[in-house]
Amino acid sequence: MTLAQVGIAAAFAVALGLFAAVEIAARREGSRVPTLGEVCGVVMRYRVGPLPVGRIAMFGFWWWLGWHFLAR
Amino acid sequence: MDRPELVAGVDRVWARPVVLAPVFALAALVGGALPSFSLRANLLVLGAGGALLWLGMSATLPKRPAPARLPRASAWWLLPIGIFAVVEGVTFLIGSREYPTLSRLADPLLEHYPARAAAYFGWLWVFWAMVRR
Repeated sequence: MTLAQVGIAAAFAVALGLFAAVEIAARREGSRVPTLGEVCGVVMRYRVGPLPVGRIAMFGFWWWLGWHFLAR
Repeated sequence: MDRPELVAGVDRVWARPVVLAPVFALAALVGGALPSFSLRANLLVLGAGGALLWLGMSATLPKRPAPARLPRASAWWLLPIGIFAVVEGVTFLIGSREYPTLSRLADPLLEHYPARAAAYFGWLWVFWAMVRR
């Protein structure tokens, strides 16, 4: 790996580490930070009229992610 | 924050983790063995994802109640999301092997069966967690 590739990998690792850190902070007793699941729950409840836009977007994104990493 | 999910409805037998974990593990063990770009790999992802999408969009299962609105402290989530989005966006726009996107970095890892099967299991499990929201 080149230095640039190591730097990019480290930046992704920092982002993923921060995801874990915020989730751990959210799960502490008395925390005011919602868990990632709760944030997703609010996003998924978003509707435009009768259309559950939040659910469609979240499921669509996750389905695409699985296809992108695991099927292609 | 209040944890409203503690009052979620009673699960059906087949929707309990003790039943689903082995099913997802089996799918992951099979899916992890399928080569990239193969028809079978595409069919398994599309079939499993389609089934979970259908469950998530239907009223078959009780959903965990979500908070009415997000508190200000939710802004902490913008930190990891923002860093991730900037790095992924910049590497995608540059589009060279010298500055790889996450999927290019993950490709060599996902060529190994244990990592691919574990990623499959994680994908299914998170999908299921979203179905319950």
